[in-house]
Amino acid sequence: MAILQTRKLDKWFGGLHVTDNVDFALEQGEVHCLIGPNGAGKSTFFKLVLGEHAPSGGEILYDGEDITRTKSYERIRRGISVKFQVPGIFQALRVRQNLQIALQHHLQGASLDEEIDRLLEFLKLKDTEKQLAGSLSHGQKQWLEIGMAIALKPRLLLLDEPTAGMTPDETHATGEMVQALNADGVSVLAVEHDMAFVRQIAQRVTVLHFGKVFAQGTIEEIVADERVAAIYLGEIHA
Amino acid sequence: MASRNLLTSTLGLLEGPQTLGKGVGFWSGFLVVLALACAYPLFADGYDVGNNVYFFNWAFMALGLSLIWGYGGALSFGQTAFFGVAGYAYGVLTINIGDAYGLTFVSLIAAVGLSALFAAVLGYFLFFGRISGVFLGIVTLSVTLVLERFMSQTAGPEWAIGSARLNGFNGMGGMPSLTIPWPGGDIVLYPDVTLYYLTLALLVIVYLALRMLVNSRFGNVLVAIRENPQRAEMLGYDIRRYQLGAFVVGSGLAGLSGVLYTAWGNYITPSSMGMSAAALPVVWVAVGGRSDLTTTLFGTLLVLAGFQYLTIYGSQYALVVMGFLLVVTILAAPSGIFITVGSLFSKGLRRRLARERS
Amino acid sequence: MDFLSGLFSFLYQTGDAFAFLVLSACGLAVIFGMMGVINLAHGEFILCGAYVSTTAARMGLPLPLSICLGAIVAGLVGMLLERAIIRHLYSRPLDTIVVTWGISMIATQGTLILLGSSIAGTGTPFGSFAVGGYGYSVYRLVLMLAAVATLAGLWLIFTRTRFGILARATIQVPHIAEALGVNTSLIYSLTFGLGAALAGLCGGLYAPTMTLVPTMGSAFVVEAFVTVVVGGADIFLGTAPAAAILAFVKAGLTSWQGQLAGQIGLLVAVIVVIRILPRGLTGFILRERA
Repeated sequence: MAILQTRKLDKWFGGLHVTDNVDFALEQGEVHCLIGPNGAGKSTFFKLVLGEHAPSGGEILYDGEDITRTKSYERIRRGISVKFQVPGIFQALRVRQNLQIALQHHLQGASLDEEIDRLLEFLKLKDTEKQLAGSLSHGQKQWLEIGMAIALKPRLLLLDEPTAGMTPDETHATGEMVQALNADGVSVLAVEHDMAFVRQIAQRVTVLHFGKVFAQGTIEEIVADERVAAIYLGEIHA
Repeated sequence: MASRNLLTSTLGLLEGPQTLGKGVGFWSGFLVVLALACAYPLFADGYDVGNNVYFFNWAFMALGLSLIWGYGGALSFGQTAFFGVAGYAYGVLTINIGDAYGLTFVSLIAAVGLSALFAAVLGYFLFFGRISGVFLGIVTLSVTLVLERFMSQTAGPEWAIGSARLNGFNGMGGMPSLTIPWPGGDIVLYPDVTLYYLTLALLVIVYLALRMLVNSRFGNVLVAIRENPQRAEMLGYDIRRYQLGAFVVGSGLAGLSGVLYTAWGNYITPSSMGMSAAALPVVWVAVGGRSDLTTTLFGTLLVLAGFQYLTIYGSQYALVVMGFLLVVTILAAPSGIFITVGSLFSKGLRRRLARERS
Repeated sequence: MDFLSGLFSFLYQTGDAFAFLVLSACGLAVIFGMMGVINLAHGEFILCGAYVSTTAARMGLPLPLSICLGAIVAGLVGMLLERAIIRHLYSRPLDTIVVTWGISMIATQGTLILLGSSIAGTGTPFGSFAVGGYGYSVYRLVLMLAAVATLAGLWLIFTRTRFGILARATIQVPHIAEALGVNTSLIYSLTFGLGAALAGLCGGLYAPTMTLVPTMGSAFVVEAFVTVVVGGADIFLGTAPAAAILAFVKAGLTSWQGQLAGQIGLLVAVIVVIRILPRGLTGFILRERA
């Protein structure tokens, strides 16, 4: 059963067809990566799924329900969560408060504090809890935002280039964390450039090109596909 | 037991990440300042005491603007619209229903309620239309300017509500002061010691209540929206409701200022909603430090005192100085003078300054 | 005949409102389009243009030259302010707006202190003409022509001149423009000057029709604000069509219920429009090409 499905999803920006008739399905419990050259429409696809853009046509189903016209915050409350490409954190607030804002929806009092501590521990940010989020290193910011995204206990996690700017070690650790979340039953959709990371986490890969689904399959199938290699023309560093 | 927990956790919100000042030091300072404020009428003459009430009157509008702009990050340049609406509403109501049986306080509540309702309707269109910061500022400013122009042309006798003449450009007068019903004869609150204590008490209550509000879950989300609205929404918050909530509370406080001002001077004019009047709250709040309630409060009282002092040379001179003060503050101390100057002495403030600059 | 004279009256009112909205707003819109900043001292640049042109006209300079002089002086003052103050705040657009409000206070009250509560005007030139028993001012027709000419002039500046092309490049991709060696700081300064000069032009053009007081700028700003809010960031795709639509609304309301109703109706219409078209007309026409 698909947790996320799009049917004939379309988006025009003026005369630009950025999402072209996309039929896509993310199976329950799957880790799925979305790749494609710059301008392929990956970010727009995310924004459509999150409700930041209204589609020009087609529909989006989450857990079998039509969410095409549902407000963003409502989609989040139903179990979708996102980590943005540029770290979307509250720079001028302390690390601890960042997590508190993510958690205060469903927790309060002592259990809220315990959960914040547990997450800080998990994200290896315990020493920085009193720092302002804006003063963290780039990698730590990425982790903090991942922490905020998973604090919502999502059923579907969207990751937009989660490892951008991370060291190889940090990237690998992030991959392990994604796998751990997946083992707990979270479905994951990730936009990613780093093919090593894709190889580490993805069970299936979809290639977008000019807003269309260009190819789909396991990482091996995609890497072996000459047409895919052709559209990248050296953009793949795997 | 449960209610006791609720009480302590509610009082716990008096301190928190969104407000400067905590611990024994701060609260002893608070009590000292409060004690001085309470003792002040014992040593001053009635005229000066009444004048101080005038300063307190404006502080509510400033605190409201701090909530909307400093905490919520939404530029509202038209707080005077709510000030004026509530002031006129108080006038119309009290002139019509009189000042017996505590009806002036009923009018006060109704007038503040009306300004909050007005803010709710206006805010609904603005925040649910998701207009950006800049546009929010000029639309709210336009609203107050249009209200000023509207009230200015109500000079004719056809502009009356019941027995209350709106009186156009010259303004509306003759409404009663706040009046407490009392067995031995009503106590009329002229600008004097009794009104001073009442207004001071209101100010302390509002200040403490706002401290609790901004440190609550609501306040957490409000500052989160200021920092990064997209992230806040993608944590599942309907940010429009929070912004609207802050706008309504802040505008209600502007309304409270309007009522207190009108009852204090028994007078209100359209120019209280004009361009210069609208600029002043922005000056007070920016100069003191809009992102904190305490700095806003002290900044406002300080700037008002300076303004009052300068108006003896003519209000145009005072306004020019206010303009310079605003320009210099934004250029040299964008977080407000208290936080900037304080950061020279305190590490905590330095950190705060650093984060506001970042 | 009655119908025709009624129609003429309505068209005249609409044209008059259109001219007023375009001329009030285009200076504001030029600066907003370039810098994302609303200049709250806009009304004071209008004031500057009006005072300078009136003074020059009363000293014997022909009116068209006086108006140009008003625009030039306002533009120079604008560039000066940009150099002295605005320049330091480009990373903080919201603070820029607050600063321009401070400048506005200083300018209004400073004028009041230096020049008193009003200065003598020149009177409206050209007299009037009658259609169907009603009198109309010839100068108002001149203002309509001036509005159209201003739009045409801006079109030429932004499409035909080196400054205009660099300015548009800077709006679209500031970093790349800078990397290509465009002196973006000069472009910003010139744009701010152009916006101020357009405000000055508006002041100069309308000076003969009104009482000259230090607060006269505020008679223009509400209309300028709402036009820019509805129009969005682009003069030609936003401001001009917004002015046309709003002029129609305003003229209708004015002829039905009077001047003030026109203004209130305009603001209410705008607030409702915001709810429906958050990105303004520009966004609507460009279909949210972000």
